[in-house]
Amino acid sequence: MVLTEDSRALETKHLGFTISPHEECAVEEAVRIVEASGGEVVVLTLGPAEAEEQLRDCMAIGADRGILLETQGEEWDAQATAAAIVDAIRGEDEPFDLLLFGNESADAAGYQVGIRVAHALGIPVVTGLKKIEFGEGRARCERDVGGARDVYEAPLPALLTVLEGLNLPRYPSVPGRLRAKQKPLALTAVTPPAPQLEMLRLVVPEGQGKEAEVLGEGPAAAPRVVEVLQELGVA
Amino acid sequence: MNVVCFVEPGDDLSAQAVGFARSLGPVQAIGFEGAYQPAAWARSLAAREADAIVAAGSERGNEVLAHVGAILDRPVAANVTAVDGDVVTRQRWGGSLLEQARLHGSPQLLTVAPHTRPAAEIGDVETLTAEDDGSPKVLERVEESSTGVSLREAKVVIGGGRGVGSVEGFAIIEELAGLLGGAVGCSRVVTSAGWRPHTDQVGQTGTKISADLYVACGISGATQHVAGAKGAKRILAINNDPEAPILAVADYAVIGDLHEVVPAISAELRKARA
Amino acid sequence: MTWAALGAGRRGTFLYGLVAKAVPNERRQDPTRQARAEVEIVLGQRKLLQRLVPGLMHAFIFWGFIVLLPTILMAMVAAVDGEAELPWLGRQEWFGWLADIFCVLVLVGVATAVVIRKIVRPERFRGSHLGEADFILFMIAGVVTTLLFWHASAYAVGLYPAAGPLSRAMSHAFSPDTNADRFFLWAHLVFVFTFLWYIPRSKHLHIASAAVNVWLARTRSRGRLEPLRFDLPDDELRFGVATIADLTRKEVVDAFSCTECGRCQDACPAYATGKILSPKLVIMGVRDQLFAESDEPIVGNGVPEEMIWDCVTCGACVEACPVSIEHIDHIVDLRRSRVMVDAQFPGEAEPMLRDVERAGNPWGKPQSERAAWAAELGVRILEPGDPAPDYLYWVGCAASFDERARASAEATARLLQKAGVDFAILGPREACTGDPARRMGNEYVFQAYAEQNVATLNDQGVTKIVASCPHCFNTLANEYTDFGGAYEVVHHSELLARLVQDGRLTPNTGTKPITYHDSCYLARHNDVQMEPRELVAAVGRPVEMERSGKQTFCCGAGGAHMWMEERGTPINAERVREATETGAETLAVACPFCTVMLDDGVREAGAPLRVADVSTLLAESLDA
Repeated sequence: MVLTEDSRALETKHLGFTISPHEECAVEEAVRIVEASGGEVVVLTLGPAEAEEQLRDCMAIGADRGILLETQGEEWDAQATAAAIVDAIRGEDEPFDLLLFGNESADAAGYQVGIRVAHALGIPVVTGLKKIEFGEGRARCERDVGGARDVYEAPLPALLTVLEGLNLPRYPSVPGRLRAKQKPLALTAVTPPAPQLEMLRLVVPEGQGKEAEVLGEGPAAAPRVVEVLQELGVA
Repeated sequence: MNVVCFVEPGDDLSAQAVGFARSLGPVQAIGFEGAYQPAAWARSLAAREADAIVAAGSERGNEVLAHVGAILDRPVAANVTAVDGDVVTRQRWGGSLLEQARLHGSPQLLTVAPHTRPAAEIGDVETLTAEDDGSPKVLERVEESSTGVSLREAKVVIGGGRGVGSVEGFAIIEELAGLLGGAVGCSRVVTSAGWRPHTDQVGQTGTKISADLYVACGISGATQHVAGAKGAKRILAINNDPEAPILAVADYAVIGDLHEVVPAISAELRKARA
Repeated sequence: MTWAALGAGRRGTFLYGLVAKAVPNERRQDPTRQARAEVEIVLGQRKLLQRLVPGLMHAFIFWGFIVLLPTILMAMVAAVDGEAELPWLGRQEWFGWLADIFCVLVLVGVATAVVIRKIVRPERFRGSHLGEADFILFMIAGVVTTLLFWHASAYAVGLYPAAGPLSRAMSHAFSPDTNADRFFLWAHLVFVFTFLWYIPRSKHLHIASAAVNVWLARTRSRGRLEPLRFDLPDDELRFGVATIADLTRKEVVDAFSCTECGRCQDACPAYATGKILSPKLVIMGVRDQLFAESDEPIVGNGVPEEMIWDCVTCGACVEACPVSIEHIDHIVDLRRSRVMVDAQFPGEAEPMLRDVERAGNPWGKPQSERAAWAAELGVRILEPGDPAPDYLYWVGCAASFDERARASAEATARLLQKAGVDFAILGPREACTGDPARRMGNEYVFQAYAEQNVATLNDQGVTKIVASCPHCFNTLANEYTDFGGAYEVVHHSELLARLVQDGRLTPNTGTKPITYHDSCYLARHNDVQMEPRELVAAVGRPVEMERSGKQTFCCGAGGAHMWMEERGTPINAERVREATETGAETLAVACPFCTVMLDDGVREAGAPLRVADVSTLLAESLDA
């Protein structure tokens, strides 16, 4: 196990009001790594003041300290988010050995941010991981590709984004939560630059409702069902 | 506008992306040979002069384009359904919401929302060999030991409930699952009755599925079962009771006897593939 | 004699020490009710008499012991000075009669007990220490028999002229100059003092602790669990019960008082449907750890882990227990430590706990959709700063998010509107009361919600609440007072029944047979039984199940089991079977959990029953 005494794992998430299952797995992984080989887990998020609660939840399962880049609740695009995170990381005294992100879906710009941060810091990045093994200053990681796994390797320091299923996150104990209240949390106010992908409006697409769409009755519905299966990409 | 489109040969989504890209202007399709190395491939793409760089909204498409965005320090609009000048319309939250946004600057980096465009003829593909920049690449592909598709990982799950009626009744469920490359699931009533093993059970103490599609046949929708199924992106319920609770959580429904409907669907699938 | 007394004294000190070291309880008690409980339950043996034959068996022995207590004094006096007698009482002939009668009754009791234990062998004794019971019965028989013989022989030698008729009849067996009286006197004293020494070392300890346990049992807010405090210094924090050091005083006295009678086991719906939970074995497990002074965790050592998770907190065990043991406190306290400290609990409950904490409701649905059911009904949704309504209608998560439970909320809203009641709902600001988290053992999450909800209610100036869900009702009425929320809370069936009685709602009577299923949290924990029945009677022909009222059989959703799947026969299937047997067409309920669980059960069994809330039935009858 390569991580040295003062090595650290940084887990980041952003624009979160709730921590996603992918991020939970990332925090759990970070905590396990540091439990096994020493070091420090720092959790970072970009969000409004309420996001402190999620950082405390992370500390309740073992993260050592937190950084909150405090926004006013406005939308941040991937570039701005990544830039803010890079600034915060560069502001740290000691470098990180590992940066872990939760892999969110592309539209929420989850792993876009990770990729951008990695490029800015000049470190390798692998995304969408279901399994990670460490050894000899490198990480061997696996990504699901429908029935098989693609294997990558990256030398540390590296940035990895992980998917739910990587591990089973532990449930925080109450003593852990009470201790978390005392752990250090650094607050930095941040303001976004002018957005390069600027949201104009949200539209609810047609055909969204709570009712089940009845495709037909009896076996006569079969052709329509197959159409839907094809639309969903499963047929 | 001249457009560069990153394609993967034989990939349906890439074909859809090319079709979309053509609506923006003349398209040069670019593919790569050698092991998948997203950062290196992105460097090659980024080096091209283009007004727009497009890819499919697939896992690799989104990833490569994200790298391009990082290299060029330009924004990427992912899962786009339409473009009008510098205003893009894209999917959010898995398609249940659409966002209109202004994409500043050039080149425009876009990935195309899956299954929103028909596939087009890809035509000529310029195949490049990307210069290895030392970034992570695929070293090998490990096949999963396939003793059937695992319930937890399956993209499609066909579930049978009390309505199936017997062990033998599951034959039609298995048939449909086989055709769709999916797994067979069941409700607790079925495991209690001994028709299927507990490993097939979908529910709170069984498996929680995260399939793209869950087809619930003859399952009334007991709360604990639904809790195991709600991870599925879409639910199709086949039931002869229009008041069954499962219908309240399903996206699609067929009202009828599953013993007739399920074989009919299987037959229709075979016909469509022939 | 001295040795026995010293032995009993030392043991007594030890036992007292266990109680004194334990954590004090915090209960609101009503001394009048406590006194009444002593009279009814202890003297009157009310709970024991729930089963007539075993009840009488015990009552005879118990009353016998009380009546015969002075005879022990008499024996001690006579032991010291053969000629002396107990002042006044020793000369009363009516006492001699009484002594004789009760000696016989005690022996009848012992004989009955022997028949029950050896011939009938009821299931409830599975797991109990039968050998110990046999010895105790032997000792009781010995005490009483030697007493009779002593009286008889004392009468024969002229020392006990006030002896009763049986003694006198038996005295003919002795010659006037016999020494048998001394023999039987000493035999009697040996039995008595051996018994005295044995009592605090056996389950017979209950004769000393039961009366105390009855006194300490809840008389007010029976559905209220005692809260934990998290704002204490680290070394004072208590997270439920991990080892015996964490037990409360009531829990210790509970452990002392268990007679292993198994009535709780018989009543438990989990045990009845093939789970391993036996409330009796839980208490026995705690007791064994306590007496062994073990510092191992109770769960996994005295009490198997699976048992504490099988519990639906229905309270049937507490209702059945003749010595007022409160098993739910033990089980929830054991859960608390597992959940909050060890973070170990059934995996299927984890999503529910996370949803309650993150989403504000156990369904994990967005709070913004909470009032969706009310959209078309014109129900007033309170905004901050709005004037408080007469009644705050607390809808509950189930009725807000579950399509089957929703029907009851819609019906209730319409009925309240029709009757002209001024009510409003909180809508998205109504968060989960926290009951499922609390029953699961996560007191921490529960308190966060309690504080949040109390703040919302108090800021809104709410004084009266009507709740549809008995779990919400219980928590709002009994548990939120610990967090600064004091409201007048009624269940919707109570309010609707009152409206019918006042003529503000006029249902049309019907003849269809309807059987009403009592919710545990209404009937047992809160004594609400009559009002839902009034509603049923107003719209149909009521038919009762055998297990009704306080003897109701759970639907299986309590104790967070709504979100857990079951092993064995499901509890709801058992209840549906019982309902079907009444021949009723409709199964009326007053709880959204019962609605869903029993409806699932009906569908799975294909039973010819329609499950409907009393509010739905009432609304339909008005429209008819």
